[in-house]
Amino acid sequence: MSAAEPVVTEVSERARVAGAAPLSRRLSTRLLRSELRLIAGRRRNQMGLLVLAAVPVLIAVAVRISSPREGRGPDFLSSITSNGLFVPLAALSVELGLFLPLAIAMLAGDSVAGEANLGTLRYLLTVPVGRTRLLVTKYASLVIGAVWGVAVVVVAGAVAGIALFGTGPMLTLSGSEISFGAAVWRVVLVSLYIAAGLAALGAVGLFISTLTEQPLAATVALMIFTILSWIADSVPQISWLHPWLLVDQWMAFGDLLRDPPFWDNIAQGLRVDLGYAVVFGLLAWARFAGKDITS
Amino acid sequence: MSFFIDHPKARWALPVAALGVIGATALTVNQTANADSGLPSRTAAQLLADVRSANVSSLSGTVVQTSDLGLPEIPGLSMSGRPGSASSSLTSLISGTHTWRVWLDGPTRQRLALIGSNGESDVIHNGNDVWLWSSADKSAVHHTLSTDQVRAGSAGKRLPSGLPSGLPSGVPSTLASGAPRTPDEAAAAALALMGQDTTVTTSGAASVAGRSAYELILTPKDKATLVGSVRIAIDSQVHVPLRVQVYSTKRTNPAFEVGFSAVDFAKPDARQFSFTPPPGTTVTQSDHLLAGTGGTNATAPKPTAPEPTAPTTGQGAPKVVGSGWSTVVVAPFTVPAASKGSAGSAADSTAQLNGILKALPTTSGTWGSGHVLEGSLFSVVLTNDGRVALGAVPASQLFSALAAK
Repeated sequence: MSAAEPVVTEVSERARVAGAAPLSRRLSTRLLRSELRLIAGRRRNQMGLLVLAAVPVLIAVAVRISSPREGRGPDFLSSITSNGLFVPLAALSVELGLFLPLAIAMLAGDSVAGEANLGTLRYLLTVPVGRTRLLVTKYASLVIGAVWGVAVVVVAGAVAGIALFGTGPMLTLSGSEISFGAAVWRVVLVSLYIAAGLAALGAVGLFISTLTEQPLAATVALMIFTILSWIADSVPQISWLHPWLLVDQWMAFGDLLRDPPFWDNIAQGLRVDLGYAVVFGLLAWARFAGKDITS
Repeated sequence: MSFFIDHPKARWALPVAALGVIGATALTVNQTANADSGLPSRTAAQLLADVRSANVSSLSGTVVQTSDLGLPEIPGLSMSGRPGSASSSLTSLISGTHTWRVWLDGPTRQRLALIGSNGESDVIHNGNDVWLWSSADKSAVHHTLSTDQVRAGSAGKRLPSGLPSGLPSGVPSTLASGAPRTPDEAAAAALALMGQDTTVTTSGAASVAGRSAYELILTPKDKATLVGSVRIAIDSQVHVPLRVQVYSTKRTNPAFEVGFSAVDFAKPDARQFSFTPPPGTTVTQSDHLLAGTGGTNATAPKPTAPEPTAPTTGQGAPKVVGSGWSTVVVAPFTVPAASKGSAGSAADSTAQLNGILKALPTTSGTWGSGHVLEGSLFSVVLTNDGRVALGAVPASQLFSALAAK
């Protein structure tokens, strides 16, 4: 908790917003906007975004300085030199393992457990804001946070990549070349697909966040969940479990870079994302709506 | 919502219900709908005639092939089909699950793409050109067919007449050492085996790739073979085989299965068949389609069981023992020398083969001694005196075939 965000400010901001909104205006976005302002204002979140943006820049510069050997290195890395748009793709595949889930875990930890830890949760609930509405707002802010994080990586990567490698045609995995405009579309689709996966992870994080009053515990628990999923996904002996793992199809975003794109795995990944979001969203609701707020 | 305020515990029923709905949906989707879907009944003979008269020249679709051959875990053979680009290499077909995309447009234009995790291998046949593309090492192999070969390909030598000649006839048989990869190819192979050795029946309708299909069940009369039954799903409208499952006598799940997970019989976009090697690609001109794919020669043709990649050398004709489903092929066998001309890939496969040999259990008998590989669908014995015996039978049958010199 940095000194830049005194507790009093958060509470008074919340009280002002929620108090001012009449009960009848259920669809008001003021609560969400205030939540987003809080998220964006936190110094640790700003630092996190900087780290997310630094990785693609680092990759781009490193590749520029020393051209990778042909056909070696992580996927996409060897293709960077032909098109700057491979920089965001390489950065996403690198950050999807740890950094992006970690960013979601930080936000999710703060969302409910953080408020409970600060003691702001009970004040928040004394103002006329329904618990369900509060939870929906919290989840919406997590989804926006997921899109935000991915967008930062992609934009930083695209800027660095285009500056260093230019805007040539993109080589698909199928060996054909697509124009730069079509390639931009593919990168946007990849970003949305990854953001969907992270948003589903956010639902898991939201549920964990309602279980504890320690934001750090919630963050660590979600990271353990993520890493255990990756480990389980790499053990072939339990392959029956793989289709049920959230992370199983995360790396399938490469299928969008085929010509034509291959949708089967993407659709499967989105189905799993939706399933996790629904089940864990409802779990969080069941837990939070009936929870005793003691602090 | 007042119900939930009065009964807070009841809230937990909602996530549980959601989980239940998801589980139930997944189960029903995965289960093959075997219920009678109101198709008029057809006899096995009618179905076979339908298949022979089927006239489908273009399609696009996704083929999923799964093998559960009960092979031992062998280092060097990718069993999961998942790690890295190995899963998209054309020689890693004998184990695990593999996904193909196929586009067919008449006899002269075909494309086959093996989907790997972040990798892809393509075979593109367009007129006189055959391209092999591998995204893992960004390499392309170009092979120019003579006009004769193009004509031979269109005649579809390996398939019964009328069946869509799935792929250029030279390509499928050589690429993956005989493992059938498209449903019609595998069906053709199984149908060729039929005769007095096999009981052919039909079962109720199956559903494959969202299409209703008849199922043809081939049951070997021979009890010595490891093949329990072969089930061929035939599309009820266009009469093309959509799926082939080979069941072993040893387990309940199919030991080998190849079938469409999605299929469309419309003419594919011409763009699918054009290939220009992108800049930065290593392009090899080749007279031999094999050069780029590991240098394995096709072993003796034995249709149903997918064979391991056992490089055989030419000297001495293979000997056939037995007949029908329990045919055993005994052939001379030598491990090819590492410096076999075609550089890296051949040396790699030799090293791999030696590694596999070391990992196999050894056994001996009146026939001599050697390494034995027993799967759920076939067995292979490699003797120390340079012979290989294989067949869709238990290893004991192979021993007696080897003993009967």
